Amino acid sequence: MTAPLDAALHRQARLSVSVALALLVGSGLLLLLGLGIGSTGVESLIAMRDDPVALQIVRDIRAPRAVGAWLAGALLGLAGAIAQGLFRNPLADPYLLGSASGASLGVAVALVALGATPHADAWLPRFGLTGAAFVGATAAVFLTLALARGVQQTMRLLLAGVVVGVVLGALGSMLLMLQPAVMLSMQAFMLGSTGFIGWSGCAVMALVWLACTPLAASLSRVLDALSLGEATATSLGLPLPRLRGILVATLALATGAAVAQTGLIAFVGLAAPHLVRSMLRTTHRRFLWLSSLMGGVLLLAADTLARWLIAPQELPVGVLTAVLGGGYLLWLMQRRVAPGVS
Amino acid sequence: MSAAAVGTSFALQARGIHASLGQVPVLHGIDLDLPRGRWTSVVGPNGAGKSTLLKALAQLIPHAGEVRLLGQSLCDLPARDRARRLAWLGQNESSGDDLSVWDVAMLGRLPHQDWLAGPSTADGVAVEQALRATQAWEWRARALGQLSGGERQRVLLARALAVQADVLLMDEPLANLDPPHQSDWLGVVRQLLTQGRTVVSVLHEIGFALHADDMVIVAQGRIMHQGSCRDPATHRQLEAVFDHRIAIVPVSDQWVALARGAHEP
Amino acid sequence: MDGPTTRNAACHRPGLGTRCALLLCIGVLSWCWSTAHAIDIVDDRGMRVTIAQPPARIVSILPSLTEMVCQLGRCARLVGVDRYSNFPESVRGLPRVGGGLDPSVESIVALRPDIVLLATSSPAAARLEALGLVVLAFEPKRYADVHRVLEQLARLLDVPGAQQLWRDIEAGVDAAARSLPASVRGKRVYFEVNGAPYAAGTTSFIGETLQRLGMRNIVPAELGPFPKLNPEFVVRADPDLIMVGDASFAGMAQRPGWSTLRAIATHRVCVFDPAQSDLMVRAGPRIAEAARAMSQCLLRHLP
Repeated sequence: MTAPLDAALHRQARLSVSVALALLVGSGLLLLLGLGIGSTGVESLIAMRDDPVALQIVRDIRAPRAVGAWLAGALLGLAGAIAQGLFRNPLADPYLLGSASGASLGVAVALVALGATPHADAWLPRFGLTGAAFVGATAAVFLTLALARGVQQTMRLLLAGVVVGVVLGALGSMLLMLQPAVMLSMQAFMLGSTGFIGWSGCAVMALVWLACTPLAASLSRVLDALSLGEATATSLGLPLPRLRGILVATLALATGAAVAQTGLIAFVGLAAPHLVRSMLRTTHRRFLWLSSLMGGVLLLAADTLARWLIAPQELPVGVLTAVLGGGYLLWLMQRRVAPGVS
Repeated sequence: MSAAAVGTSFALQARGIHASLGQVPVLHGIDLDLPRGRWTSVVGPNGAGKSTLLKALAQLIPHAGEVRLLGQSLCDLPARDRARRLAWLGQNESSGDDLSVWDVAMLGRLPHQDWLAGPSTADGVAVEQALRATQAWEWRARALGQLSGGERQRVLLARALAVQADVLLMDEPLANLDPPHQSDWLGVVRQLLTQGRTVVSVLHEIGFALHADDMVIVAQGRIMHQGSCRDPATHRQLEAVFDHRIAIVPVSDQWVALARGAHEP
Repeated sequence: MDGPTTRNAACHRPGLGTRCALLLCIGVLSWCWSTAHAIDIVDDRGMRVTIAQPPARIVSILPSLTEMVCQLGRCARLVGVDRYSNFPESVRGLPRVGGGLDPSVESIVALRPDIVLLATSSPAAARLEALGLVVLAFEPKRYADVHRVLEQLARLLDVPGAQQLWRDIEAGVDAAARSLPASVRGKRVYFEVNGAPYAAGTTSFIGETLQRLGMRNIVPAELGPFPKLNPEFVVRADPDLIMVGDASFAGMAQRPGWSTLRAIATHRVCVFDPAQSDLMVRAGPRIAEAARAMSQCLLRHLP
């Protein structure tokens, strides 16, 4: 870039880089902290070398849980930024197009099917539920796309998403009514937890994140152009339906992968983009990456606090994401001082 | 500019344009030839279909009929090529508050940019020219949300200028602009004309509309008149279409529209 | 298992060197002994688990399973329980590893259990198995389930006399049933599980207890074990007696039309406190106590 050889625009670029670095450093610190926090405290970290159980706790439980929390948060942060950009609505979150209800219905169906037949293989329950959640979430979004007959108009897509969400949610409730035996397991899923993430779950989420984030970032111009209105974006020669479809697919994949591993954790996808916006304003190319990093830090911080505050017991992580993210946003609204904060 | 386009003398040619907004038909069989290298203003009463006409010409709404841009049918032209030759500035479009002025203007360079490439030197130069032309260069780092209505309009105008298209379609470009900047806009248009570009603008400020080379008068979805702005026939048609509530009178070397009361002769 | 007989026959095959034969015999015999003494359990998920000896360290995150382990006399082997396990008193001092639905994987692993007992609906089973722990999932919901799970746990813990234990439990229930005079039996009962209202149907575990006590349930078997009823249904059925936990009882009389119910008007309502509610709801070894509590309440309220 040759034109902005001036301080003002360089400052913006430098700010983005500093925020990204801060978030990465924060993630690293929280990861390290996460290794030392839990029901057995720092003793496990210290005893790691001699005690195989302590080593297992740190390496096979705390480490994948912390990494998994970061990855799930990063996926939700990315999905939230895409949703808010696509719909030009600051209240949009990753669950907007029915993915939450779809995942719940998928898990309910899988639980009923699994319960009906005795299964000797361990793989079926292990992968069945996470797979069912992923398939349910993505299928719901594609159903929304089909109902909206492509992405001709944003309002129609939004409406279809709400309809799909409500209908699938109702179907899920009905299924629970008919098969109350699975109600407890469903509750466990809906509660949302980072407590059961293993290394295989981390691997899946990492793959999805590495695929989705650069893809979405390469389409960031669509989101920028859309902020000027759909007519203007079309007049700029962008094949909007196709590109929006790809963005929606990316949104579905990222949300599905996160929900499959952690259940339904609210607020991360909504808050992460706002937290980034409170620090700087930038084009979507940087914003998507930053929002993803912010989501990772948010969920990792919530998970670490959840394990630390009332150790050896745990708080539900969804409560802490709301307290952390919501609390910071409330404080920002009280301040109303910094320029650039609306 | 393609070889085929050089020979034509019309920027836009429309044949048999029918368009509807929802279920209501708005344009009824429009035939229009807009000359190249000239400024045409489109005027008419509220609800005449001026904005709809512009959107149809820009391929932004579905319509029946054919539109040719610089001799080439727009149906055959890929979207990116069309976007490079035809820029459109809308009325009351939403605008994201987060982007900086510079970023917004840079969006105008989208038709010229490769997918994964960043902005090039040429892009930077074009954006700087556009922002200077609308006196928005000084605050290029500020966010759009921090600007007043008039300042925002100038940035959106710069975005349209940055495309460096052969044809510019502008719908109410003077919205929110104060008089000095309205006059500046006139200067921008004249500059574009000297560069050989074509400007089509929908204006409800009749006085400014009369500065154009040609005028198209639209009423009830039909073309009532097309002619030079200095032609008295055009002036009479203009008065007629507004129910003779205005009078076109010469003042100094310009034509001005004076409002008439309901019962004045 | 036909192992022992065929392998023993192989030991006595002639033609091998004496020392080799002896070593072979010893090796095979020890294998026979360990396989014969290996414990093979199939849990409610259909998973087969084989362990060499009874577990010395047990974590249980389902209250009914905790109670069963203690009833079988192996309470001392429990090293961790869930937050809802509260009987007998001794387990209240044990480390808590979360709930059945949200257990803390790390706490469980840190306790180094030989085996983890949990419900089939718990999401932790797969994760714990992936970490190398031995997991058995049981979710007793009917009387037959309680019998079966008691047998399995007795085999797991190598406790003889599970059959006697079950016979004692059944005897207790029968005794509670016999204590009810003929005038009380056959009366129609409505057991409310929570205020939605969800009722305990005939095919539920609570329904089975009521059935053994000779009472009739207003909820027919077709509706399933825990149906969510239309309140009208209860009003129309007009039960002779209502059984409910004290939290649900609070607003019952104000429900539209319910004040006309004979049971409410004549105060024929068994209200159970939380400890008793736990007793009623858990399909565990204290079924007989639950039956006794129910029969005492029935005697108090019904003529």
